Amino acid sequence: MLRLEGVTKSFGGKRAVDQVSLVVPTGQLVGVIGRSGAGKSTLLRMINRLGDPTQGRILFGDTDITQLKGRALRQWRARCAMIFQQFNLAGRLDVLNNVMMGRAFHVPTSRALLKLWSDDEKAQALSALESLDMARLAGQRADTLSGGQQQRVAIARALVQEPDIILADEPIASLDPRNTKVVMDALLHINKHFGITVVCNLHSLDLARSYCDRLVGMAAGRVVFDDVPAALTDAVARDLYGLEAGEVVGEAPPVLMPVGARPGFALAGS
Amino acid sequence: MPGHFPVDLDAVRGRHSEHFQRFGRRRQTALAIAAAAFALLIFAIGELGFFDGKLLAGLGRLAEITGLMLPPDPKDWAHVRLFSSALLETIAISLLGTLAAAALALPLAFLAARNVTAQRVVRFFSRRSLDTIRSVDILVWALIWVNVVGLGPFAGALAIMTADIGTFGKLFSEAIEAADRKPVEGIVSAGGGKFLGVRFGIIPEVFPVLVSQVLYFFESNTRSASIIGIVGAGGIGLYLAEAIRTLELQQTSFIILMILVSVALIDYVSGQLRFAVIGRRGVVS
Amino acid sequence: MSSPIALLPDAQLRPLLDAYEASVRSRRWHTLLILACVAVAMVLSSISAEVSIPKLLDNIHRFPSYIIRLFQLENGRPVWTDVAEWFWGLPRWLRLLGETLLMAYVGTVLGVIGAFVLSFLAAANVAPSRWLRWTVRRFCEICRTVPELVFALVFVIAFGLGPVAGVLAVAIHTVGALGKLFAEVVENIDMKPVEGIIAGGSSWPVAMRFGALPQTMSNFVSYALLRFEINVRSTAVMGFVGAGGIGQDLIEAIRKFYYSDVSAILVLIIITVSVIDTLTSHVRHRLIGLQEKH
Ligand SMILES: Nc1ncnc2c1ncn2[C@@H]1O[C@H](COP(=O)(O)OP(=O)(O)OP(=O)(O)O)[C@@H](O)[C@H]1O
Ligand SMILES: [Mg+2]
Repeated sequence: MLRLEGVTKSFGGKRAVDQVSLVVPTGQLVGVIGRSGAGKSTLLRMINRLGDPTQGRILFGDTDITQLKGRALRQWRARCAMIFQQFNLAGRLDVLNNVMMGRAFHVPTSRALLKLWSDDEKAQALSALESLDMARLAGQRADTLSGGQQQRVAIARALVQEPDIILADEPIASLDPRNTKVVMDALLHINKHFGITVVCNLHSLDLARSYCDRLVGMAAGRVVFDDVPAALTDAVARDLYGLEAGEVVGEAPPVLMPVGARPGFALAGS
Repeated sequence: MPGHFPVDLDAVRGRHSEHFQRFGRRRQTALAIAAAAFALLIFAIGELGFFDGKLLAGLGRLAEITGLMLPPDPKDWAHVRLFSSALLETIAISLLGTLAAAALALPLAFLAARNVTAQRVVRFFSRRSLDTIRSVDILVWALIWVNVVGLGPFAGALAIMTADIGTFGKLFSEAIEAADRKPVEGIVSAGGGKFLGVRFGIIPEVFPVLVSQVLYFFESNTRSASIIGIVGAGGIGLYLAEAIRTLELQQTSFIILMILVSVALIDYVSGQLRFAVIGRRGVVS
Repeated sequence: MSSPIALLPDAQLRPLLDAYEASVRSRRWHTLLILACVAVAMVLSSISAEVSIPKLLDNIHRFPSYIIRLFQLENGRPVWTDVAEWFWGLPRWLRLLGETLLMAYVGTVLGVIGAFVLSFLAAANVAPSRWLRWTVRRFCEICRTVPELVFALVFVIAFGLGPVAGVLAVAIHTVGALGKLFAEVVENIDMKPVEGIIAGGSSWPVAMRFGALPQTMSNFVSYALLRFEINVRSTAVMGFVGAGGIGQDLIEAIRKFYYSDVSAILVLIIITVSVIDTLTSHVRHRLIGLQEKH
């Protein structure tokens, strides 16, 4: 169980995340929504400790994540996989080595520095890649892959971490409709079959509604909505995104509804 | 054209006074700087003895010397062989010095790079020492190394190495700082430590840039290596200085021609290799 | 919690693993080949440069002891115990340092003027004639490739010992180095203003003055400042061949083993170069800032 207690993050005088308190039970697929700059990425990065909260605590089970240092911190990061909008792969490394970075914590550093992966580790990485239909490309350089392929490599990297929780920061924002579906289905699969908690920042309300168990809406750093997807009415959504009353949520494509989410366009990429 | 388009100049000036003034002031500053620079130039020329009457005579003599240099002529085959082996030695000095410098500069560059070394003190001192090394000319290093390992090309290679550690350290650390931080973040977010972040997140990305810089400096170091012979640190410089001092002007121009050709050749080859490493559009800066 | 990865059966894994190993192997051969080439080149170079590791190891202790010796006075005490004694020659050295700076200044200015004129003749987009452009480019190349010190040696014969030879050597080298850079700047300008002025019936120099020059000025100044810093460093050794500046005292001190004098002069040069480095990079950053604002 992940518990956030009054988590706040300020940059200079500005509060990017403001007094956020949340409890995420194990095995939930939580979607975090909100307009650009609401503090979604900052929140996720704090959970992985890529950024430290200015105030408040983050607990996983009984461990206070915010107090971790050194090896214990790295161990937490290994248990808490992160998927990024820009994939954050090492472009000039091949796919398999990128996936191996997910084992970084478990392999002794001296062996890892020399890329001396054991056969078991390679088998694990290849199996993870194969489950995403990517094992054929294991020897290819990551920056020669398409965006969707790169994101699948990033997911494979998350999988070999054997994480307790996966944080996904707009994992589909730079993907086409088909890859969007592949990636979201993969996350759903991981969540439903293995009971891994997933917290996912999303810009598409339709996707958020159809994939998530629960939606958390943020505005100006605060949580302003927290309920099941069905409770997210158009009126609430308009409010969340600060739209005028006349504007319909579905008609604001860039923020609310990527082309891929519209019925009838879903297969356009195939 | 007065009359066609009536302009109330005062009113315009009143409304856009900042425009009129700023323009004027900037122009004035520029003129003042130019005037001061010119005055300093005249003063310096006088001070350095350009007006001592030697200039004209010197120019005449220079023309004469240039005439005597043509056509380039090594005198005999023995000299061609001598010069060629000295030239090869020059290139060898340059290659060894450059590679050794690159190897030694790499760890320093990581210490001096902001995105790798968090400690300000370490960074400050590694930067300062790189700058200090850089501000001492290669010839001075050559003299120092001659005192340590004796006359000969070995001292030259060490001199090139020392001088380049400073330059490479600075350039490499800039390349490292320019590296994308996303791959490192990806590795850190998965539980990887600092070393892994550098090894897999930074090194693969900056390596081609570094190789290209090393190749670029191989060429410019060949030029430097061709003069360190003047202070006894090996290479063709010794013969060049000798030929000039003894007024063997045709030999001088022959040696210069040899240097020009070999530098052009190295320039071409290293350019091709650089393109192969980083692609056509990547330019060393 | 169960692992989210279903390990593939061996029969399925084998071919994937083999395919990966095969692709890695070809890359590894490539790397090894390159490394082998570099290694061979290094061995050949080492032979040619008479590199001897034993000799280096035998003598390497002399490097630190030489450096330490540099910072000891005649009487063996560290230099900072008696700074007045260390810098005993300060008035003379400061004068020579001033001369060095003036030499670098004049050399840079003359070189900049030369490069300025030549760059417009050498830039592909505005050059008035092709053969002229070719000639200018080759000329710049020669000026740039022949080391300054070689020019200095020749000029010392023509103009006699002293700073004039050094200044001219620096100036010529600057023409070559900046001529190329300036020409690149000119090649990157927006051609519309130039064409507009030429279309208005103006002559080539006028078109350059009002069409091309305004676009290039801040880059020219920035490169010139950078060059000035480089030139200060190289005029400091012009004295090695008798071409003026502080180099003549430096080489004499090194040759005659006046250890503390060597370190004193080096300290002065290093301070001067760092100050100039700081100043010029400050001005350059302001210039670049100015350029971006407009
Ligand atoms: N490193 C930083 N330094 C200063 N301000 C920052 C930093 N990172 C984020 N911010 C600020 O914090 C606020 C929240 O940013 P955050 O990236 O978390 O928003 P977001 O909800 O993820 O937006 P988006 O949907 O566009 O990704 C923004 O106003 C941003 O400007
Ligand atoms: Mg974000």
